[in-house]
Amino acid sequence: MRLYRTLVAVALGAVMTVSGAIAETPKNTLVIADAIDDIITLDPAEVSEVGGVLASQQIYQPLVTFDPADPTNIIPVLAESWTVSEDGKTFTFKMNPAAKFASGNPVTAADAEYSIRRVILIDSRISFIFAQFGLTKDNVAEKVKALDASTLQFEVDQKYAPSFVLYVLSSFTGGIVDSTIVKQHEGTLADGSNDYGNAWLKSENSAGSGPYVLTKWDPKVSILLSRNENYWGTAPGVDRLFLQHMPESATQRLALEKGDIDIANKLGPDDIGAIAGNADIQILEGVSSTMYYFGLNVRNEALSNPKVVEAIKYGVDYQGIADTIGKGTIKVHQTMIPDGFLGGGIDYNPYSLDIEKAKALIAESGVATPIKLETVVWNVPPYPDYAQAVQATLSQIGVELDLQVVDGGPWLDRYRSHDLDIWFGLWGPDYPDPHSNAKAFGNHDPSDPDGTKGNLADRFGWNSGKVSDLVNQAVQEQDVDKRKALYDEAQRLHTDTSPFVFMFQDSRKVAMRNSVKGVVLGITFSDDRYGGVSKE
Amino acid sequence: MTDNLPRPLRLLLGFASWLLTVAITLVGLASLTFFIGRVLPIDPVLAIVGEKALPEVYDRVYLELGLDKPIWQQFIEYLGKLLRGDFGISYSTNRPVLTDLLSFFPATLELATIGLVIGVALGVPMGVASAYWHEKWPDHLIRVIGLIGYSVPIFWLGLVGLFVFYYKLGWVSGPGQVDVFFTGIVPRITGFILVDAAIAGEWEVFWNAVSHMILPAVLIGYFSLAYISRMTRSVMLDQLSREYVLTARLKGASEFTVVVRHALGNAAIPLVTVIALSYGGLLEGSVLVETIFAWPGIGNYLYSSLFAADMNAVLGGTLLVGIVFVLLNMLSDVLYAALDPRSRSLANK
Repeated sequence: MRLYRTLVAVALGAVMTVSGAIAETPKNTLVIADAIDDIITLDPAEVSEVGGVLASQQIYQPLVTFDPADPTNIIPVLAESWTVSEDGKTFTFKMNPAAKFASGNPVTAADAEYSIRRVILIDSRISFIFAQFGLTKDNVAEKVKALDASTLQFEVDQKYAPSFVLYVLSSFTGGIVDSTIVKQHEGTLADGSNDYGNAWLKSENSAGSGPYVLTKWDPKVSILLSRNENYWGTAPGVDRLFLQHMPESATQRLALEKGDIDIANKLGPDDIGAIAGNADIQILEGVSSTMYYFGLNVRNEALSNPKVVEAIKYGVDYQGIADTIGKGTIKVHQTMIPDGFLGGGIDYNPYSLDIEKAKALIAESGVATPIKLETVVWNVPPYPDYAQAVQATLSQIGVELDLQVVDGGPWLDRYRSHDLDIWFGLWGPDYPDPHSNAKAFGNHDPSDPDGTKGNLADRFGWNSGKVSDLVNQAVQEQDVDKRKALYDEAQRLHTDTSPFVFMFQDSRKVAMRNSVKGVVLGITFSDDRYGGVSKE
Repeated sequence: MTDNLPRPLRLLLGFASWLLTVAITLVGLASLTFFIGRVLPIDPVLAIVGEKALPEVYDRVYLELGLDKPIWQQFIEYLGKLLRGDFGISYSTNRPVLTDLLSFFPATLELATIGLVIGVALGVPMGVASAYWHEKWPDHLIRVIGLIGYSVPIFWLGLVGLFVFYYKLGWVSGPGQVDVFFTGIVPRITGFILVDAAIAGEWEVFWNAVSHMILPAVLIGYFSLAYISRMTRSVMLDQLSREYVLTARLKGASEFTVVVRHALGNAAIPLVTVIALSYGGLLEGSVLVETIFAWPGIGNYLYSSLFAADMNAVLGGTLLVGIVFVLLNMLSDVLYAALDPRSRSLANK
């Protein structure tokens, strides 16, 4: 026994002498904790997971970007100017002569041409973002052309709102790669086709023009980015960005308070509330375009009655849930376009909890109570919490939700097959343009009654009628203000008549040490910019 | 029947029959996992290409994954690749699954081994003391400590441990295997951070890794000592009630000799099995501990691969755990034979 005691004492002693060593992060490294185990690629033409996008945003730059505070303000990045043809179908970009890649090569139209073409050519999982403009493997060589070293021509199939095309090009999919370098690393796929450097860019290499370059990706563990020594803009204030995989919110909180990490990206509402008082920590508030809603399948007889739908909308305690369950991480938002996007921010939230009114509407509808509805909910917080709160209030008006809380797989499967009465979930736009949401929630395609192509209105059995017309008009409207007005009208009509009960929009809160300065929070999930970051 | 054959041949047959058992176990495990994976309501193609991919992309990946072939054919092909050591590619890490396993398993192995050593070093003496002072205060105290160990959720203990020892007292380092400062300094040779750091002579990294490892290892150790002490106690109680104990005492043997040499010596036999299985359980990787401490182990890997519907990774990980259990069982059989002379003659029949 004495031997054990001695050994334990020696071990503890050794540990205590060394543990005091380094508690703060190194000054030249910004350490960000996030959940990054879902990343499967870092090739900008196919990246779409949160962590992957975050890394990609620091390495690659698009032709243009926009100001999240005022989305109508489109800012030139790798393209210094652009014009649109009379018929609205041809966009001509003039490349910025000052831009350079990390390799030292200048950014030319040839690089832009290569980068945009390869998204379609490699059959990327997100190729639909560009394919929606009518680009296919066969026509992409014609439609996306570098007319000379500094001019890029981009043709689309219809007259779209210019802002629509530009917002899509500003997304992370529009990141421009150094074609000279990538072409040297093209590989061949099993069927003999060219992979356009996909295998090379996927996991270990980068060829961008942004403030950082990829140094090492340790899958499911960490990503290390180093400063781009050849950066053509203002150099960032830190040498390295270290993205650490730390899935547990409470652990992130402890590490942040101790100073072992600089930024905690995934703190839950309880932990944010708990550290609010810590003098060493600042909490930045940003916009997140994720929206939480539940969809009613109007193929169900009771739900096909508009008065029942309206009654349900009055049977949800929006503010109560936001305050008690969300605790400041969500805000009430009842329209289909999120704040921060063109057309968003109209602040139209006509519904609030009104049990008496809801009961009256049910009575008027003539539908017998209790109304039993099969509700499919994802088993990950906060969905079960929201669903239970809604179930409680709706039971007071005679609507009984049969909550089926399931894993991600069946949750999505039943969603796609609309094998349910109510679906509880979320929506995140794929690119920073209102059309992503408006099309999903408002477009009606008579040839696809089950909404298999992604039209949610059809998937839930609702013919959106006038909303569909407005939405499709808006995506082609050349004048930005008129476009905004169309979305305004569409949203109001949609909120009043659709079977979608929008509840909340995410309000991102990111906690970081006071010593961190210059972080620019993004707008779609995780496109924060660390290019101007420094640590005191 | 085999008694009259020369010894080497008997050994060979014994080995062959063991090999056959192992093979059947593993094939059974593989087929069960494989078929469950194919039957699960998760579409592996959608998991790779995402919800909104174009139909051509979906079709291409569908063919790449070989899903158009009948299930039994897919399984035979998979087994064929396994025999060549090809566990397939994990689509979520873009590396061969074998590389992933060699990367993540050592971290779990290191943690589990140290945890087990703590569990045995403390658990066995605790169990012995508990049995010896049966129903007196040391027994009650030890049983309460054990009860807390396997009743209180390990993630709660982990978070409280982090809060007290890392945040408040600063005695240990926080989540992760090493400080950010030291990441990537030590070249990977064995995959065990302590061993690699020692080989490279990077002692600062070594001690830093120790301070990161100590809390999760003690936690795992606590968890396993709870079970081991309880099993030791019950086996020891059984042994101490036997006649030979009374005989030894009457013969004038010291208490220490009676308890440790004789009783514990006999108790060691069933205990070996308990400890081996306990080790196997730890080697599966405690997802909860790895999540809390951001430990890059096999538990985390299997868990996130399952949710990503990355079937190659899940199958590879499951098979690895299966192989580990088979090996541990074999080890405990060997130790059993070594410790108990009576079983050797039985085994040779």
